[in-house]
Amino acid sequence: MFRIGVDVGGTYTDLVATDETGRTIFAKSPSTPADQSLGVMAGLEELARRLGVTRAEMLATTERLVHGTTVATNALLERKGAKVALLTTEGHRDIIEMREGLKPDRYDLRSPPPEPLVPRERRFGVRERLKANGEVLTPLDAGSLGDAIAAVRTSGATSVAVCFLHSYLNPVHERAAVEHLTKELPGISVSRSSDVLPQIKEYERVSTTIVNAYVEPVVRRYLTNLEARLTEAGFKGSLFVVLSHGGMAPVEEASRLAAGTVLSGPAGGISGSRRCADLLKIPDLVPFDMGGTSTDISLIADGQVSLSADGMLAGQRIALRSLDIASIAAGGGSIASVDSSGTLRVGPESAGSVPGPACYGNGGTAATVTDANVVLGYLDAAAFMGGARPLDRAAAEAAVDRIAASLELSRLEAAAGIHKMINLTMADGIRLMTLRRGVDPRKFALLSFGGAAGLHAAEVARELEIKRIIVPTVASVLSAWGMLTSDLRYELSRTHYGAGPRISAGEVRELFAELERQAAGRLRSWFNGPVSIERSAEMRYGEQVFEIDVSLTDLDLAAPDIVEQIEERFHRRHEELYTYASRGQEVVFVNARVAAVGAVAPIDRDTGSATSSGACSPRATRQAFFGGWREVPVYSLDALQPGHSLAGPAIIEAETTTVLVDSGDRVTVNALGWLDIRLR
Amino acid sequence: MSTKIDPITRSVVQHRLSSIVKEMGEAMLRTSYSQILNSSRDFSLAICDVSARLIAQADHLPVHVGALPWATIAVEERFKDVVPGDVILLNDPYHGGSHLPDLTVFVPVFAGDKRLLWTIVRAHQSDIGGATHGAYNPGATEIFQEGLRIPPIKLYEAGRPREDLLDLLALNVRNPREFRGDLAAMLGAAHLGERRVSKLFAEFGAPVVEAAIEAILDATEQQTRAVVSTWKDGIFHGEAFLDDDGHGRSDIRIAAKVTKNGSDIEVDLSGSDPQSTSFVNSSHANMQAAVAMAFAYLIDAEIPKNTGALRPLKVIAKQGTIVWADPGRPVTLCTSHPSNEIVEAIIKAMSASCPERAMAGWGRRFRIAIQGEDPRTGRDFIWHMFHARPGGGASSGGDGWSSIGEWHSVGGLKFGSLEVAEVRFPLHFRQHEFRAGSGGDGQFRGGLGVSLDLVLETEKPAKGNTAGDGVRYGPCGMLGGEDGQPHRYRLLSEGREPRLLRTKEVGIELHPGDCLEVRSSGGGGWGPPSLRSANARQRDAEQGLTGTRAEQRS
Repeated sequence: MFRIGVDVGGTYTDLVATDETGRTIFAKSPSTPADQSLGVMAGLEELARRLGVTRAEMLATTERLVHGTTVATNALLERKGAKVALLTTEGHRDIIEMREGLKPDRYDLRSPPPEPLVPRERRFGVRERLKANGEVLTPLDAGSLGDAIAAVRTSGATSVAVCFLHSYLNPVHERAAVEHLTKELPGISVSRSSDVLPQIKEYERVSTTIVNAYVEPVVRRYLTNLEARLTEAGFKGSLFVVLSHGGMAPVEEASRLAAGTVLSGPAGGISGSRRCADLLKIPDLVPFDMGGTSTDISLIADGQVSLSADGMLAGQRIALRSLDIASIAAGGGSIASVDSSGTLRVGPESAGSVPGPACYGNGGTAATVTDANVVLGYLDAAAFMGGARPLDRAAAEAAVDRIAASLELSRLEAAAGIHKMINLTMADGIRLMTLRRGVDPRKFALLSFGGAAGLHAAEVARELEIKRIIVPTVASVLSAWGMLTSDLRYELSRTHYGAGPRISAGEVRELFAELERQAAGRLRSWFNGPVSIERSAEMRYGEQVFEIDVSLTDLDLAAPDIVEQIEERFHRRHEELYTYASRGQEVVFVNARVAAVGAVAPIDRDTGSATSSGACSPRATRQAFFGGWREVPVYSLDALQPGHSLAGPAIIEAETTTVLVDSGDRVTVNALGWLDIRLR
Repeated sequence: MSTKIDPITRSVVQHRLSSIVKEMGEAMLRTSYSQILNSSRDFSLAICDVSARLIAQADHLPVHVGALPWATIAVEERFKDVVPGDVILLNDPYHGGSHLPDLTVFVPVFAGDKRLLWTIVRAHQSDIGGATHGAYNPGATEIFQEGLRIPPIKLYEAGRPREDLLDLLALNVRNPREFRGDLAAMLGAAHLGERRVSKLFAEFGAPVVEAAIEAILDATEQQTRAVVSTWKDGIFHGEAFLDDDGHGRSDIRIAAKVTKNGSDIEVDLSGSDPQSTSFVNSSHANMQAAVAMAFAYLIDAEIPKNTGALRPLKVIAKQGTIVWADPGRPVTLCTSHPSNEIVEAIIKAMSASCPERAMAGWGRRFRIAIQGEDPRTGRDFIWHMFHARPGGGASSGGDGWSSIGEWHSVGGLKFGSLEVAEVRFPLHFRQHEFRAGSGGDGQFRGGLGVSLDLVLETEKPAKGNTAGDGVRYGPCGMLGGEDGQPHRYRLLSEGREPRLLRTKEVGIELHPGDCLEVRSSGGGGWGPPSLRSANARQRDAEQGLTGTRAEQRS
């Protein structure tokens, strides 16, 4: 039986299949943005070819297909989601457009405000109101609700978000409104805030619910369609979708909580990175995925990924918990420019894939990071993409020369400067991430993947005083590979509202028992393996506004001093993150969270053994810039065997990536055939 | 400077410095204790050199940033004997501060034995002692009634905290726990900056960093001059008014005479009205900051806001006027008023020189604080209103932002969740929605203010204080655009006549069930209303943003 991972990226759809023998096969196929399922089906065809069977044969013997999709992401980025209406508490319909009074840029007072996902004429107030303790203050007014529903009908909306104040404590009015809505407008898509995100803070809740309403019909249509195509092609197994929190869920669940799929793609990369951390027994890893237009950075600390509810995508607040991934709008295609003060800047503009860097020869004239890499001799113009797509060195030089002229520098100095600036941007992104999580970057290893990462990893690591870089051979399809090890995951949260300022032991037990019952029940309806439970709580000191997520998984809730234990956990975590704790201060328990996790059986992989030893021979040498022009050896990654070792300066090339090894840095090829680089 | 600096090193150093202040901000946001800091973000970060030049800053609150070089001057004048591990603290407006609630800490950065830079954190405290909670005291006639005055003092000496001094400070504020927590966060952020700058020195060598800094400032100056020189030359006048000072004086005028010549700008505020007996006076540093803020809004957003950008700007003012009070006068309101009016007067003047850049008026500040007992817990509470943000001014770029803030905060102050407020305070937010018709009409319409109906759910009477301005003068229209509707706050109380709230009241008697009917101002419009497109007017009508005449009055 096969398991297949499919990751749809902007340019390529990556596929990985494995079977019980541990055999792992990769395939790549061009993505088809208009209907991603076409590219998926074509990719499956290619994967089957590589396995030496027909697609029907392969699919008939596939037990599970795990899918990372950018359908929701693209709908949001390109503003191609559903026409949404909002039903909300009367007198409060401008919450999303107020954005809590914030605006991103302090000195740009001449840019107009962004258009909200739901314009004001489709935001309808309904007479109803709950008190802060969840009791009904104003009962839901049938006439007012009727008027609002009639207005939804007239507006032509195809999807409705329902979000009333304090509904996280008591969903009675939201439920009644949804019931009327679906009766009056059968077939309309509905997202209810007490279902999507039953948590205090109305801006987060209404915004997340609106995003869900906006992408739900698009995601549902796509997944239903894909499922049908797969069935038609002979697939009899289960289709799962990777969610932003890194776990996977069946199609129905991924559609219901469609706002939870916006990081579906990169989430696979984090799963893959976590698997790398496991295989290598390196608990502290910085996954560094640098591509053409953007770079994704995250952290695996102590073997754990971190989840965050601070998400923002395309200007929209999405407060569902998702993997903490910092996406930087910079990559190999980032454009270098000289501003009016004579300062060199790299990005945020990107040449994208069309026209692409000047050296692609598709009409691009702006100097990009990739052009600088060609000038510096890091990229072999003739052998790019295995020689399938040679680069135009002269065009790269001409582009870099224009930057050099504005800076009154030589071509080489300008190219080295571009390389330096992009590395700084990357290092900043990683440093902010470690600062947020209260960890020291120096003890981490950098996991370099994505097409452009290998050219920059060494300098980025040096900026951060990181001493070790890992380049896995599965680098180019790490996301799809990672999806094969995703667990099933269902998350629930609930805001605590108690009688007193401090939560009681009884309340803690009751809260978690109820959440665990619900979460485990839902997960068992998806799968019949063992289910484990993760518990956490978001807490803060009395007057603070930011809550901290504290893991409670290994605490015994029956312990008589459970509240004290929970509070002590919080103090310790606060100290870790922010260098101080205020023991003796009031601790507020805000949200309880539970995740039910169904672990899939791990795939055994032959981790191999060192088969070669000592030095290996380069394929060639070429001139490249390592502090000065040097004739450096060039190795082919495919030719390197476990046990091989080499020292920089050197260049290691593979079909889809190139790795720079600086002077004095040492590379060994580990048992998996991956590069393990120790910095000098 | 003898060290020759290449443009790449300069770019790298500039990038580093700006990422250092960003990291300081992140640390501050995450660790500060009070709502005003971690939620409303009323703090700023900067790096200055020992010549009090602003080298890098994080974009938090514009009104803080231009003031920090003046605070640095005060520190440099007071202490000649700064050693590694020292930390300096100040707040006094007559010693480089802006107003008393803003504490500023300075950590020196050394390269070897040579002291070169300061990492600086300024943050607004929720209380600083004085006659009323939270420092905003409309009744004050001298600064001593506004709070504890701190000239530059050494809070740490060579790495050792002066615990006795800390005790003295904490004893003089109403919430010592929060005060200490926030101060710890400020110190943490400043020390983080110091460590990162030290590493920069170690990596490049101090002479290279120093030379890079000179080059950064020079380059920014050139960049700014290139922009300014495209504006029309001449002498331009602008004025703006404060409603009143709360002590009987009305229509207090701020007058700006701006002389633009080539790439130089001279702003002369000396025609402004005499100082007041109340807290509407500005301190000198705050006046400087307000002028810098107006200038920063007019140049390109991308230009780094450092001393280089301010070199084309010369400021003239007269001590004893409303924009620069004599020592001892109360000044607490100054970061909002007269800052907002100073900015507005300058931008009005400049609208004749660079009309495409001059934006219409942003909101003025009108705050309310309520003090009472929460019947659910029996505990006392104090609540500060950050809700009902006013609208922003329109510009050549389009309509103004709604519910966004004042000239001095411009979308940098966050109002918290209403749900959280209702859980924590005995308050009911019956309505919190855009105030239709409040934005000034124009080719581009001003942003909308907010209608808030807030019901008090105490069981015992409570007290309210107000502080602010702008119930008679709305944010100004620009180049033919109309003014935004001014603020209009009323108190609706069973058995009492509804009454308009004044902007500077102390001890307003509030009864259980009272409703504060808050209508915040809309932003000013830009360009003649006759030029507004039919499409834009139709969109306004569809969205219910125009309001009836009656709504506009209410």
